[in-house]
Amino acid sequence: MESEMIYLRLRQKKKVPPNQELLIRDIAQLIGEDAYCAKVEEIPIYQVTKEDKNLVVIDVMKVITAIHCVMTNIEVQVVGPTQTIVEVQYPKKKLAPVYFVFIWFLLFIGAALAIMNFHEDVSMREVHQQIYKIVTGIDNPKPLLLQVPYSFGLGIGMVLFFNHLFKKRFNEEPSPLEVEMFNYQQDLDQYVIVHENDENGHKKP
Amino acid sequence: MNAQFLLVMLIGFAEGIAVGAGFVAFLSVLGIIPRLTQLSKTWHLIRFYEWGIIIGAVVASWLSLRNPTLNLPKFVVVPIGLGAGVFIGMLAAALTEVLNVLPILTKRIGFIDKILFLLMAIVLGKVFGSLFHWTIFVNGGVK
Repeated sequence: MESEMIYLRLRQKKKVPPNQELLIRDIAQLIGEDAYCAKVEEIPIYQVTKEDKNLVVIDVMKVITAIHCVMTNIEVQVVGPTQTIVEVQYPKKKLAPVYFVFIWFLLFIGAALAIMNFHEDVSMREVHQQIYKIVTGIDNPKPLLLQVPYSFGLGIGMVLFFNHLFKKRFNEEPSPLEVEMFNYQQDLDQYVIVHENDENGHKKP
Repeated sequence: MNAQFLLVMLIGFAEGIAVGAGFVAFLSVLGIIPRLTQLSKTWHLIRFYEWGIIIGAVVASWLSLRNPTLNLPKFVVVPIGLGAGVFIGMLAAALTEVLNVLPILTKRIGFIDKILFLLMAIVLGKVFGSLFHWTIFVNGGVK
C-alpha cells in the first residue's frame, strides 16, 4: 500500500477553555495532500478535564500514535517543537482589580523605599525613621509601627516570590526555585555529556 | 552667575539620569515585576506597573531630599511598612535565587525533596531576625 507523507508542526503553546476536546487541528499545523490533511486535522487527541488543572503537555509521539490509529498509510514528518504546552484558561475570577491595586501599591512603595535607601547609603533604620517623620511629623527613633509590619512583610514577600506556603501553592506554574534547580541539573548533565563521553576525546580535567 | 546655575542644574539632571537608569536596570534584572504579573495573571496591565515604579521613585526622591512633613495619622505607616517588607522580601528571594545557593546546597546534601523546609527556614529566619533587630538589637546601637 502506498503511504502518503504529511509534514506536521506542533504549536509551541495553545490556550484553551476548560473541558474542551482538543483536535489535532488545535495544536498542530499540517502540510501535505489536502484530502489527507483535512481528515487528520479532525482526529481528537486529548480531552481536557478538571484534573488537569491549568497545564497539560502533549508529546508528538502521542499525536503520531493517534494519527496511526485512524490512518495506517500515513507517514508523518515532524518539523519544529516536539511537544505542545496546553494552557487551560479558566474564566477569570473577579479579583484582577484587587491584585492590580495591590501590586501597583507594592511597586510604588518598593521603588520609593529602594531609592530612599540609595540616598541614605543603605541604612534601613534611618530610612524608616525618615519615612515615619515624613508621614506623621513625629520624630521617633524606634518607629515600631512601621517596622513590625515590615518584618512580617519580608516573610510574605519571599513566600510570594517562591510561590509556596508550606505544602500549598498558589497555582500550578513552577516556582522560580524549581526552574533554577532544573537549570542547574541540566548544566550538570551537559557537563557529563561532554566530559564523560569517550567519543569526544576529552579527558576529565 | 547664570552659567553657574545652568552648570549645577545640568550636573543634577545628569546624575538623575544615571541613577534612574541604573535603578530600573537593577529592578529588571531581579525580575520582580514579571513574577508579580505572572502570579496575578495581569500581563495587560504591565504598563501601569512601570508607571508605579517611576512615580514611586520620583516622589520618594523628592520627599527624601526635601524632608517635608505630611502630618498624617500614625496608622498610615502600617500599610507602608507592610508593602516595603513584601517588596524587600521579594528582592531578597530574587537575590538568593540569582546566587544559585539553594540548588547547589540541596544537591550537595541530598535534600532535593525537602527543599521546602530549607525555604521556610530562610523565610522564618528573615522574619524573626528583622523583628529582633528592630525591637532589641537597635537599643544597643543607639548613640
